Amino acid sequence: MRPVAYPVLARRRLCPDVFLIELDAPGLAQRVKPGQFLNIRVGDGPDPLLRRPLSVCDADEGRVRLAFRVVGRGTALLARTRTGDRLDVLGPLGRPAPAPRNRNVLLVGGGIGIAPLLFTARRLATGNRVHAVLGARTREQLILRREFRALGTKPILTTDDGSLGFPGPVIEPAADAAAKLDRPLVFTCGPKPMLRALVRRLDPVPVWGFIEERMGCGTGICYCCALPRKGGGWVRFCADGPVVLLNEVAW
Amino acid sequence: MKMSVRLAGLEFASPVLAASGTWEFGLRFADVSNQLGGIVTKGITLEPRAGNPPPRIAECPGGIINSVGLENPGLATFVGHFLPRIGRLRCRVIVNVAGSRPGEYAELVERLAHPRVDAFELNVSCPNVREGGTAFGASPAAVERITRLCRRRTKKPLIVKLTANFVDPAETARAAEAGGADAVTVLNTLFGLALGPEGRPFLGGRTGGVSGPCLKPFALYCVDRVAPAIGIPVVACGGVMNGADAADFLSAGARLVQVGSASLADPQAPGRVARELATFCRARRLRDWDDLVGRTRREN
Repeated sequence: MRPVAYPVLARRRLCPDVFLIELDAPGLAQRVKPGQFLNIRVGDGPDPLLRRPLSVCDADEGRVRLAFRVVGRGTALLARTRTGDRLDVLGPLGRPAPAPRNRNVLLVGGGIGIAPLLFTARRLATGNRVHAVLGARTREQLILRREFRALGTKPILTTDDGSLGFPGPVIEPAADAAAKLDRPLVFTCGPKPMLRALVRRLDPVPVWGFIEERMGCGTGICYCCALPRKGGGWVRFCADGPVVLLNEVAW
Repeated sequence: MKMSVRLAGLEFASPVLAASGTWEFGLRFADVSNQLGGIVTKGITLEPRAGNPPPRIAECPGGIINSVGLENPGLATFVGHFLPRIGRLRCRVIVNVAGSRPGEYAELVERLAHPRVDAFELNVSCPNVREGGTAFGASPAAVERITRLCRRRTKKPLIVKLTANFVDPAETARAAEAGGADAVTVLNTLFGLALGPEGRPFLGGRTGGVSGPCLKPFALYCVDRVAPAIGIPVVACGGVMNGADAADFLSAGARLVQVGSASLADPQAPGRVARELATFCRARRLRDWDDLVGRTRREN
């Protein structure tokens, strides 16, 4: 696996601290599967040393879109990317999410965690019944609503401040939605407390979580990412994930 | 020019190795392993080790701080599961071993008397374990004792991986030589502390080891200091990102050079360093590695 530099077709701001970068990457768009991530080099030199792992927000018609929130130095540098730049990409990395057929799929996204679920929704829309519960702190931060609707899903929306949709976290609307579905397959991405609360609330329904935490190499060689597994040991979520059955995680 | 180089009676197809802990067992990118002189495995202990709780990695300008804590599957799984596959690599295989007591190192090298294990790297310098590790590496007496115990149990080359955490590596290098080492690796990570926003330790293991290009000037200083102090070769390790870095370490007196943290940023890095080093030497019309090794201290 070699890093490839892809041209940036567009960079736009989805909300004050969330950016979307669109790459011209036909081969990659065809190859990448929901749940996989790309490891992006930020800056020009050896500093910052590590790449930044970003899950794929969408891939369609030769284009790959990445959405990320600015949380530190690396993502702040990445936010400075301009149209015409080239982005040094290693990937796709990680194992794809399970690809069901003819199932009730429930997507539960929180904040920037909404991003990878869009790609999942696109790929699962044919052959499954896709439902979505999307939440954020405010209406402004509830990203990609239009894109979800364009796929034919009518997402249930929630905001912590009540500025749009159901007031409060995604957990209860997600539990209501799951209860109405026959054998739902749940995919979720969002902040750790949300994932933890969701898997507890839905128990014993299997919940697949897209883990977006710090990694070292992204390729399985450094043993720096470790999620505690029930019964001992770790999930090395860069290589064995990043989509992990959250019911098996000891949080 | 000939790219191969000899160390402790072994021929290496290139002076560039993948360093321990940043290349797992050389199998995920076997094609890259095969472009190298050799690989050094992740540190192996007698029993499986879970390692430290996360987070295990932080960044600092030009480097990283890790506290993996020697997570590894243990000797039995290494021998039964990984070694047969490692044996199919077309490069030298150096197994890094770590013990929490001196006798464990000797037991490890004895039980790893496998034909495909070309040499051992004795890890007396891991900064992330409570027992052994850098505590051994900071004591010349312990380094000599561990090396001697291993020397009695194996005929394979022994390379002692040194630390510079609160010790002069020239002293521990002399101790390794006295104990019968064939070479020393200079050096393991330096102690480091990363703090979170609340001023509390960020890493799950509390402290960690610093590596990456920010370490290179110090590692180069250490190689320049250790190489003339001993009669056995030096294997350099510390912040090598490209062929010019590798050439610097050879100039400073190293015979082989390892690529570590760079592999985390790009798994092609070790192979690229080997190619760039070859280009560097051809461009300067060097006939032999000896034209390069030790230039730092040569008269003209």
